[in-house]
Amino acid sequence: MSVAASSHLEQAPEVRARFDRLKQRPVILEVRDLSKTFTAAGRPPTHALQRVSFQLHKRELTCVIGPSGCGKSTLARLVAGLEEPTGGEMLLDGKPIHGPGSDRGMVFQSYTLFPWLTVLKNVMFGLEVSGAASSAEAQGQAKMWLELVGLSKFASAYPHQLSGGMKQRVAIARALANRPRMLLMDEPFGALDAQTRCQMQSYLLQIWKQVDITIMFITHDLDEAVYLADRILVLDAHPGRLREVMEVAVPRPRGPDQFLEPTFISARRHLEDLIHPRAAQVADKLPLFHMADAGDNVE
Amino acid sequence: MRGAWSRPLAGLSPRASTTLWAASFIVPVLAWCAISYLPFVWHPMVRVTDPGDVAWMTPGLLVDRAAFSAENAEVAARSGRPAVGAPANPVFLPAPHAVVRALVTGFTTPPVRPEEPWLHQSLWHSIQVIFWGFLLSSIIGVPLGILCGALPAMGRLTEPFIEFFRYLPAPAFGALAVAVMGIEDAPKVAIIFIGTFFQQVLVISNTTRRIDPALLEAAETLGASRRVLITRVVVPGVITEIYTDMRVLLGWAWTYLIVAELIGVSSGITYFINQQAKYRAYERVFASIILIGLIGLVTDLVLASLGRQLFPWLRTARRGWFSALVGMLRGRGAPAPAPASNADGAAPEEVARA
Repeated sequence: MSVAASSHLEQAPEVRARFDRLKQRPVILEVRDLSKTFTAAGRPPTHALQRVSFQLHKRELTCVIGPSGCGKSTLARLVAGLEEPTGGEMLLDGKPIHGPGSDRGMVFQSYTLFPWLTVLKNVMFGLEVSGAASSAEAQGQAKMWLELVGLSKFASAYPHQLSGGMKQRVAIARALANRPRMLLMDEPFGALDAQTRCQMQSYLLQIWKQVDITIMFITHDLDEAVYLADRILVLDAHPGRLREVMEVAVPRPRGPDQFLEPTFISARRHLEDLIHPRAAQVADKLPLFHMADAGDNVE
Repeated sequence: MRGAWSRPLAGLSPRASTTLWAASFIVPVLAWCAISYLPFVWHPMVRVTDPGDVAWMTPGLLVDRAAFSAENAEVAARSGRPAVGAPANPVFLPAPHAVVRALVTGFTTPPVRPEEPWLHQSLWHSIQVIFWGFLLSSIIGVPLGILCGALPAMGRLTEPFIEFFRYLPAPAFGALAVAVMGIEDAPKVAIIFIGTFFQQVLVISNTTRRIDPALLEAAETLGASRRVLITRVVVPGVITEIYTDMRVLLGWAWTYLIVAELIGVSSGITYFINQQAKYRAYERVFASIILIGLIGLVTDLVLASLGRQLFPWLRTARRGWFSALVGMLRGRGAPAPAPASNADGAAPEEVARA
């Protein structure tokens, strides 16, 4: 395992100052010794998460990354209240989390817009069911959120008329319309093609800049994590443990041109060293066959 | 070149689709015409035109072809005048033109006996029985089915018994229904109810279970209560599928009608058909049967069309007749949302719905 130069730890003074300020901000989410074990009859229990602890500060954008099966989606579902933990506790603004609630918005990987509602009505859904706003107020707010994600023109369209990227932007607007304390994003751009995903990442940073929101972003894409995050939680698989919390030294504002900057590359290299060696070893376990022509060596 | 039609799930051009739709009706009718109008196809009988010296024959009588030639052979042996006749089909297979005539004149022909109902009265009676049976079943069955599908505890409590009960043939309850509800229409409605209800609950609960759980989770993270989950996510999420189920179930209700109407005092279209069969007016029997089919077909087409109006999110660009009509009455054409490609650079996906 080649360990890269530890330059991913080197932070420019303004980046260090920004992290210092960030740590001064109030804690929005505190996760303590969180464990989740799935048990199915006749099978050994799966330890999706084991004693994971971390804190998210106000308006922090944190990515959670790890190999498949490391329980990163489970972590998002636990915080959202869609699953019950088997151990540990989660505090939102110091109060324990029990079950799902409108104080934690979520954007899923699969498209979850309600197909029977127009785009505008989808964004209004949370405001309407909570009864927090009158119908007219809800409509006004929903229009504002649609404008924020640049989809005002499509207010009266139905979800099936939108592209995948547009659907996810509406989903973000729908989640933000509730004014949640934090936004959970479970591989929201995973189903999109590479170009659209890149656009969506820029959209997200733009939105995050304008809205007071703490984001926990689950991804398996290393570039995405480095591009978006303040800090990256790196999880291990089987059992799912928190391996490292990494501060991303890439200065903000972020842009696609930073992909080739040394800070970006060293951060990315470090993540790769943490995650990929195990993934690459899999191929070595395959038996050797010689089915190709000897004179036709691909390498 | 191999025809594209043999490829599984091959798409059809609109033209081919229309042609095949028409052919599915035309082919059986042509077969029927061939059997009726081409003497060499079947025609196992002889219709006597001139009885000759055969004592028991009269003009117009239908005689089995073998019996006819045996009789003529006997007459020929006595050197008498042979009977003359034309090949014909049995009385229970009338020719298409006779059935069409019966269809056209069906509503204007008075009943044979004055106390019998007219064709339209019989049909109307049947439609009412179906309507009430299906309505009562749906009022209870649809909400119960949705609850059974949405709430596993509810489904577990209800469905095993319904599963058992649905195997009991509805007509088996005929005698019981008559004993409890008398001999008029109530037991007939009850049979339609029994025949529909148990299937309905199971079919609808199964449909409800197919809702995408991610939609429920999304709604929960938006603050939806459990009641809201059912009323504003589950119900609208499965309503289009349930609507399709209901169209299929309505067809089943019609199949129970014939049995139901034999219970107690026979009535409705079943009574009408039975009476016509007694009078050996088989062209009117066929006409009545075809009428039932037509009513079913037209109902289904209307419901399908209505469905496209009720569920606008299933439509793509094309506007349905109902909103076109409403737009016309309001004196304006409601602009359909026309999504264009946007900053994504990605073309909006059009989900084509059959």
